[in-house]
Amino acid sequence: MAEILVKQTWTKQDVLKAAEAGGKKRGRAAGGWIADIAAQKKVITLCPECTHKFNPAKVSYRREKEFPVCQATCDGCSTFDDKCSWYIYDELYTSIRSTSEERRALQRSRELRIKRGFL
Amino acid sequence: MQYLGNFSSSSPVIKKYKASATGYVQGIVMLRSAGNASGQMSTSTTTSFADALGLLADNGNNAGSSITYSTTQGDPEAVFGVIVNPDQILRALMVTGATGTSITSDTIVTAASNGLTAVGASSVASPDMDEGILWYLSGSNVGKSRKITSTSSVTATVIVPFGANAVGDTYCYAGVNIGLTGVTLTTDLLKVRTDIAVSTGASATCIDMELNGVSDSYVHLVLNDHVMKVAT
Repeated sequence: MAEILVKQTWTKQDVLKAAEAGGKKRGRAAGGWIADIAAQKKVITLCPECTHKFNPAKVSYRREKEFPVCQATCDGCSTFDDKCSWYIYDELYTSIRSTSEERRALQRSRELRIKRGFL
Repeated sequence: MQYLGNFSSSSPVIKKYKASATGYVQGIVMLRSAGNASGQMSTSTTTSFADALGLLADNGNNAGSSITYSTTQGDPEAVFGVIVNPDQILRALMVTGATGTSITSDTIVTAASNGLTAVGASSVASPDMDEGILWYLSGSNVGKSRKITSTSSVTATVIVPFGANAVGDTYCYAGVNIGLTGVTLTTDLLKVRTDIAVSTGASATCIDMELNGVSDSYVHLVLNDHVMKVAT
């Protein structure tokens, strides 16, 4: 039987997608895997079905609230989900994120400093 | 650098990519790895965001040493989370110098009653701040900013006048401004230098600035050479 071969045009995006890491290895318990990546202070992404099983405060993590969802592969069930929650290690939060509260406080501080005459 | 959001107001897309080296620190821009590099991404440089992948969201160091990357057989693979949205907006602290100290302010030495010039002690012509931004930290113009339209030696000129300035007023200037592409980073790749001539360095365009004091002013950037865009 004849087989038609269609040449694929791989874009950079396709290559990157194909090379994306798969996350939890087969047979590995999700809890242990997440405990490992939490110990490494890495960003944790969990789908709606897995997120309630994770207690961020217990491991000094902070749930991102300004962007309550992200598109990612769930670290628990290794499934891509566009409604994942993401958690950032608390001490590292300000390295990659700022909250509107922090920016509002900065703006208030700016106004006060201008009133005092020195920015 | 901090992730501030996306132009499209969409949610962040976080991908886990393989590292090519030790010592990655959250908050730096990652690039597609070079040919024959061990992993899928490498760090940006102080002057290049070419083929950017996005912002590194993971911690790669624990107490100063790398905890993940290894080329030893049997070791776990080093994988880091990266925010990959091509339209992401980054927020970076503005600093002076390669190591990133507070912005160096200057002081008015010759008053200008028409408010069209700021004459200080340091050169604004080399490195050239023409088309950059100038803002006052004290005096009658405190908090006000203007675009620099020409420079000559220690004099920065604006077209839209400030109020009259006075000897002793302090001000800051930066080689960044809205719509200008090119920023130079500190050696830790986390902050943007203000003491470099405009439009010099890594391909990122300024979309906004938070002009505060010498240690809490920020610039908002978008990556111009992101690998997920159609043209890089």
